[in-house]
Amino acid sequence: MARILLIEPDKLLAETYAEVLRAEGHQVVVRAGAQAAVTAADEARPDIVVLELQLVEHSGIEFLYEFRSYAEWQKIPVIIHSQVPPAEFMGSQKILKHELGVNTYLYKTRTSLRELAAAVKELLVVEA
Amino acid sequence: MMDASTLPVLSQELLLSMAEELKLPLLQIARHAEQTSLSGTIDPVRIQTIADSALRLVDNYVLGVRLALEPEELLGESVSVSSVLYDVGQQLDALAKSYGVTLELNIGGRYGPVLAHRKGLQAALTSLGAALIEALPAQGSPQLKLYLATHRSRYGIVAGLYADTKQLSNQALQRGRQLQRSSRQPLTSLTHTSGAGVFLADTILHAMRLKLSTSRHHHLYGLGTIMQPNHQIQLV
Repeated sequence: MARILLIEPDKLLAETYAEVLRAEGHQVVVRAGAQAAVTAADEARPDIVVLELQLVEHSGIEFLYEFRSYAEWQKIPVIIHSQVPPAEFMGSQKILKHELGVNTYLYKTRTSLRELAAAVKELLVVEA
Repeated sequence: MMDASTLPVLSQELLLSMAEELKLPLLQIARHAEQTSLSGTIDPVRIQTIADSALRLVDNYVLGVRLALEPEELLGESVSVSSVLYDVGQQLDALAKSYGVTLELNIGGRYGPVLAHRKGLQAALTSLGAALIEALPAQGSPQLKLYLATHRSRYGIVAGLYADTKQLSNQALQRGRQLQRSSRQPLTSLTHTSGAGVFLADTILHAMRLKLSTSRHHHLYGLGTIMQPNHQIQLV
């Protein structure tokens, strides 16, 4: 079982994703925005972060810069699970991977719940 | 007939925005269906609410296109703003409930009828309302409450949707209109989506020679439009 910080702005999707991840035995903390997610990370001490990039006010990328600026969060695996197609980050792969430590990029519209749960599991196995 | 390229409702930007927006309800339905196959429990009300809301957005877009193509359809009629807001509230009720948002009508005061196109006004306010309902939880607003309200200003009768958190500035709205082509999230201080509902309201109101702008209602912030009272009817 892992503690997952799920940053998802759409309430209905957040409920669906959280329920599926909880059914896998994980503890899930859901936040809709970047600012609230930073605070939640401090309290929840997540083992893994699942992040949408399109958020209100501050983007997911801004969240990542803030998140990675703290030493204790530099090694926490991050899955981007976003409406933004990965092709839009073709030129920024190095930044995402090496600077921001993104482990996996999932295009939300093409990713099933099973695939999301499998991606979380895979990263937890690698980190263990 | 007007030149299609001059009509914002027919713009590629709005189409792009609509396409991006419609991905969300389809994704919600697809994942809910998948979740159902995993857990065995289905929530038909949720699926119906999501689908109805998406259909309403498409219907409103079609109405906007028709009004833009056939401006003679836009003959003003005497419209009770309170009654339009009531109908908008009815249409948005199920969506609001599914997002945990409370809708409240605030239509105190007798302002008499305005001169407007009823269906157009209702479509614009419904599109705007649906966009704000989806956006409120994403804003992290402590109070998930949306007010459908009308009041009199020195410029006319205002009808709009309001919340207790700051929604948009006129500058942000204007910048959003300009960013529609290049950004997938042009109203970033308001919503995580493409904001199609807001832009659709904007373009339907534009077709009706009205304007979407930021507005205050008592201590609340929101978006609305100003209409002129129909003095002829009032005299009768």
